[in-house]
Amino acid sequence: MSDRFGQVERITLPFRMISYRLSMVLMIGLSCALLLLGRAEAYVFDEAREKVQEATAPILELLSTPVGMMRQWFSGMDDFLNVYEENRRLRDENARLLEWQAVALELQQTNERLEALLNVQAGPGIGYITARVIGDSGGPFVHAFIVNAGEVDRAAKGQAVIDTQGLVGHVVAVGEHSSRVLLISDLNSRVPIVFEDSYYKAVMVGDNSPLPLIEFLGEDDVLTPGKRVVTSGHGGLLPPGLPVGIVVRDESGLLRVDPYSEESRVDHVRLLEFEFPNDVDEEGAEETDGEQVGLLNSDATAGAQ
Amino acid sequence: MSMISTETNVAHRLRKIFERTLPFIVALFCVILSMLPFGLVSGIIIAPAFALMAVFYWALYRPDLMPPYAVFFTGLYQDLLSGGPLGLWSFIYLCAYGMIVSQRLFFIGKAFLAIWFAFGIVAILVNLIMWGIVSLYYANVMSLWPIIGQTALSFALYPFMGKFFGWVQRRFLSVV
Repeated sequence: MSDRFGQVERITLPFRMISYRLSMVLMIGLSCALLLLGRAEAYVFDEAREKVQEATAPILELLSTPVGMMRQWFSGMDDFLNVYEENRRLRDENARLLEWQAVALELQQTNERLEALLNVQAGPGIGYITARVIGDSGGPFVHAFIVNAGEVDRAAKGQAVIDTQGLVGHVVAVGEHSSRVLLISDLNSRVPIVFEDSYYKAVMVGDNSPLPLIEFLGEDDVLTPGKRVVTSGHGGLLPPGLPVGIVVRDESGLLRVDPYSEESRVDHVRLLEFEFPNDVDEEGAEETDGEQVGLLNSDATAGAQ
Repeated sequence: MSMISTETNVAHRLRKIFERTLPFIVALFCVILSMLPFGLVSGIIIAPAFALMAVFYWALYRPDLMPPYAVFFTGLYQDLLSGGPLGLWSFIYLCAYGMIVSQRLFFIGKAFLAIWFAFGIVAILVNLIMWGIVSLYYANVMSLWPIIGQTALSFALYPFMGKFFGWVQRRFLSVV
């Protein structure tokens, strides 16, 4: 036994003998090489990232539970202190919402009638997976969450992620039991959006600030702050119509989106299982082709008969 | 007789391995700690740089147990886990490590306030370096606010983490 350790010693000794300076230069060089390589070919390390995330997820899940409890305790205190105001606010809101409910029910009926009349094909239904946020990015320049739902829970890359308020981000990497969610404030986030009333289309670009930028707005499109922003569903990634936020103008006059969902308050999220009509089409197209061929054949046979 | 000596030998070696890897394990734990969604409690999404504190502490007191490659892998682990640019945190931690190791003889034996101050300086410097790298990486001048927030929060929390590392050192590491 001691012989084996002796061997280990003999192997590690020259390694430790390498001067501190040399290993510093080596390691710094390696970091720089990784930075350059990662910049050029980011996907190279996707699998390594997934493995590390998957291995750490159980620890994160365990440790984030007391953090969640602490949060509940704090928000409980908050609720207790604001109970009077909150009650009054909720009463007002309830009165307003009841009016809206009447409107919504009426609209739903009209909508159903019209859809039946026009024989509209309803879009595919959206299922969802509920998950808990077990980790965030831990750095000032990355905005991402790790959530405790993975492949086994039917989580998939590209799924939209929402909380009770609105869009949070989308899934960018899926492990077996955990997934990484890129938040809308991240530098790499691009979300196709559309504005209420005007139906102007644009792209919401994350810039590391809490208020993502509005870019690629049409030249003649005039936006006024306060307009509601929803996802447009263009590009085939996120389902259309998810509430995102409202338009605001910052100090320098740039148009931004003030998201409904507050990044720091998100604890549970929903991953939306949304099948795009595109995806369905491809499979469906083959089937219809087959049917058409079948029809043609039967026509031909009918003709022959 | 020889059995006992072998056993103690093994125990001794296991203890050596444990001591040699403990600072690294503590640093990895700090990476996980900084990934926890504390924003839910504090209402701020910026996480304190716990692992930077660990690298700072071990570079100052036990650089023999926290060699450059351990610092590199601490950073790499954080890069892989956070989904940010790969090599960024390893580079940042190595910078901090180099700064401290080159100045550690000056700081050894100084009062805690001086050490705390030194951590503040190192945190400011490496965060500025990080800001520069990230701005170049994304070809986009980043806002300075996130790093100011992270630096301030890390500075404020260093005394607590320093206490924790000190406890780990006294409790588990033999004096050299």
